[in-house]
Amino acid sequence: MEEEETVAMSLRERRWTGADGRQCVAYEDDGIGVSVPSMLLARARAEGGTTILRRKDRGIWKEVTWDQLAAQARHVGMGLKALGFTPGDVAAVLAETIPEWVYTDLGILGAGGISAGIYPTDAPAQVAYLLNNSGARVIFVENEEQLDKALEAKATCPALSRIVIFDMTGLRDLDDPMCESFAAFLARGEAHDRSLPGDWEAGIARISGEQTAILVYTSGTTGPPKGAMLSHRNILFHCVNGVRLADQRAGDERLAFLPMCHVAERIVGIYYALYAGTISNYVEGPETIAENLRELQPTIMTAVPRFWERFHSRIQIAVQEATWLQRQFYRWAIGAGLRVADARVAGKSPGALNRLLYGLASHFVLGSLRREIGLDRIRWAYVGAAPISPELIRWYLALGVTLLEVYGQTECGGIATAMPADNIRLGTVGVCIPYGEMKLSPEGEVLLRGEHVFQGYWNAPEKTADTIRDGWLHTGDVGEMRDGFLRVTDRMKDIIITSGGKNVTPSELENELKFSSFIADAVVIGDKRKYLSCLIMIDHENVEKWAQDQNVTFSNFASLARSPEVGKLIGRELERVNQKFARVEQIKQFRLIEQKLEPEDPELTPTMKLKRSFVHDKYRDLIETMYTDA
Amino acid sequence: MSTEPLLSVANIETFYGPIQAIRGISLDVPQGKIVTVLGANGAGKTTILKTISGVMDPERGQIRFDGHDIMRMSPDKVMRRGICHSPEGREVFPFLTVHENLVMGSYSRSDKAEIAQDLEMCYEYFPRLKERQHQRAGQMSGGEQQMLAISRALMGRPKLLLLDEPSLGLSPLLVSQIFDIVKRINRERGVAILLVEQNAHIALKTADYGYIIEVGRIVMEGLCAELMEKDDIKEFYLGQKQEGVRAGRRWKRKKLWR
Repeated sequence: MEEEETVAMSLRERRWTGADGRQCVAYEDDGIGVSVPSMLLARARAEGGTTILRRKDRGIWKEVTWDQLAAQARHVGMGLKALGFTPGDVAAVLAETIPEWVYTDLGILGAGGISAGIYPTDAPAQVAYLLNNSGARVIFVENEEQLDKALEAKATCPALSRIVIFDMTGLRDLDDPMCESFAAFLARGEAHDRSLPGDWEAGIARISGEQTAILVYTSGTTGPPKGAMLSHRNILFHCVNGVRLADQRAGDERLAFLPMCHVAERIVGIYYALYAGTISNYVEGPETIAENLRELQPTIMTAVPRFWERFHSRIQIAVQEATWLQRQFYRWAIGAGLRVADARVAGKSPGALNRLLYGLASHFVLGSLRREIGLDRIRWAYVGAAPISPELIRWYLALGVTLLEVYGQTECGGIATAMPADNIRLGTVGVCIPYGEMKLSPEGEVLLRGEHVFQGYWNAPEKTADTIRDGWLHTGDVGEMRDGFLRVTDRMKDIIITSGGKNVTPSELENELKFSSFIADAVVIGDKRKYLSCLIMIDHENVEKWAQDQNVTFSNFASLARSPEVGKLIGRELERVNQKFARVEQIKQFRLIEQKLEPEDPELTPTMKLKRSFVHDKYRDLIETMYTDA
Repeated sequence: MSTEPLLSVANIETFYGPIQAIRGISLDVPQGKIVTVLGANGAGKTTILKTISGVMDPERGQIRFDGHDIMRMSPDKVMRRGICHSPEGREVFPFLTVHENLVMGSYSRSDKAEIAQDLEMCYEYFPRLKERQHQRAGQMSGGEQQMLAISRALMGRPKLLLLDEPSLGLSPLLVSQIFDIVKRINRERGVAILLVEQNAHIALKTADYGYIIEVGRIVMEGLCAELMEKDDIKEFYLGQKQEGVRAGRRWKRKKLWR
């Protein structure tokens, strides 16, 4: 209890009136120093033996205490220094979301370095590009598979001088002077630490808040990725204020599974958790997320829409395959839940009867559904990074899960707007965070200002100058504001001007299409064309289930996508969406992508979004058929 | 329009109690062709054959053979319509002689002269069986038993022969001999064959068309010549690995099925 008070004592409040006329409030925490590693030192000193991470090892959740975390980070940092790594140098990490990623990240930061993440799904060429662009001197790789990418890249990366491997399984015979195991690397760090007592703390004390801490490569739906520089100040500002806004507490449990290279996991995930004292539980691997979620039952959660969609469709399928009686119970319970959820969204009281019915529904039916997904203890959940269907949010609210939409981008370090839990407006991404400012440009572009906004792009001053103009971050997103609630309509550069001169925001159409459970993603085409057309990627699982139920004959994914019945199904979905738009904005033709796309494919960003420009190129012939046939 | 395939399986789902072994499979066997189904252990290959021959009943789906719906027909009726099944693990009658085993295969037929003719045909394809026609089947080697199992199925004069892993437990030399004969039977007698195999190499060389199944679903299909060129097939079914930057690569890349 005392500790909490000292933490609270160290808070300073700042209030000002933003350019948008809103009252802004931000807090500073003087108890954690000015950098991420100084926060680590302060927390470890205070919390010592308490658990901060958990990982599953041979089927058992094993705990990592603050002391252990700090020691690991220290040995990584001193290990880097022993290799001649100096402040301002870059080190890269190429691994799935595992505790070693965190140790390494904190070690790099503590050595005064800059930490750059690489997606484990990236191809060797991409890895080479990122290593060169960042100028990384050291790369930490997860295992044999990732090592091969680094080895392939090293010939073209002159700055790279060391490869450290976390998991040496199968690499006993590896004989490359540039490579070493994480264990050997840590041992050198430990020895170096013993020979230079106090050097680690002194080095951390020299880190300024303005120093760049991390490079986050934007997934880049267009062009090669750019490294967004976020400073220690950016990160701590987010942590101190974001944790307060979200009401994230010490002892909360979260599941760590999103890629560490993405700000959602890096800042809103692990850094928030370190600041708040939330325990991060690392999934065994990408395949066990659902299982680990169920056994952990976290109290808070942040995930991209794809995960929420997947949990939802799993329940839907289970319900369809349940007995008649179970289906009736489900229908009744979710109905009771929806009545309460709708009242909540409308800001009204659901009434005593509805509340009673919901209590029963929650106890007898919805509770077991929440347990089945792993959300029975959840206090709040965030969804962001891509649009999500309002219907889906309504379903989660009915289930009793406070699913709140947030909006932001790498360049603002994560969250820029969030949905208030007590004032939910479906179809919007909530209101601007109280500790930053937001306004719309005359063209409708979302502009952000504040200490959460990034420093600029790594080695690309002209791109930085293009993005931060007159002190405002130009997000490139177009939106509308009503009563302070933001609705994001599209990316600025994606706006289509048809040959008829009509401006169309494709994302609005695409999002409506994606809200269909049969459509995974869609790209609307029509710039300088007579009419709009669309490439659609079907949702494999749901369409397959549908086809099987309808006795539509198919074998693999391609034959499913080619089947005329599936074409008609998607046509009907498209027609339903078209109804919502004016005639010139309607989609006249569509084609299905016959290849099942995976995160490894260049067509997709790591967050599974179709890359517009890439799709335009790759499927040029297919696109042309939509304009020649007619 | 193309003519209707000899066998057409659509959307079948088959369960072992609560366990769903086949999650919606559709495949065709055209007249006179060899079609192969490849997959790992437990993928559902044998279950497909058992479902076609009527040993197991699917929960849903459709099976049409030679213009008729044969779903939920008992195995003997299916056999009389012209589908003979050579099961996995051979399952010859161990205490009957080779000759008796073959006669069992013609159980449903009464045309004595033609049975004798077919018997000669089997002995011609597999001279080994002729040598051992009075020996008990249980005393023969695995390869000979396999020959017997195939011959016994042929004795039913099938239009479609279902072969379940004829290469099981046989030496590479014997495997290639048996597959040569399987191919001859197909060419000379015009018998269509649905071949289930683990030995992807020989199956792709023998068959015209192939389906790859994983956990009860088809993940890939195509002409065998094309399948052999696919990266996933090469790496996961034919054991060919691309040489990486480092010798002794152990990790496997993700299957993409394209």
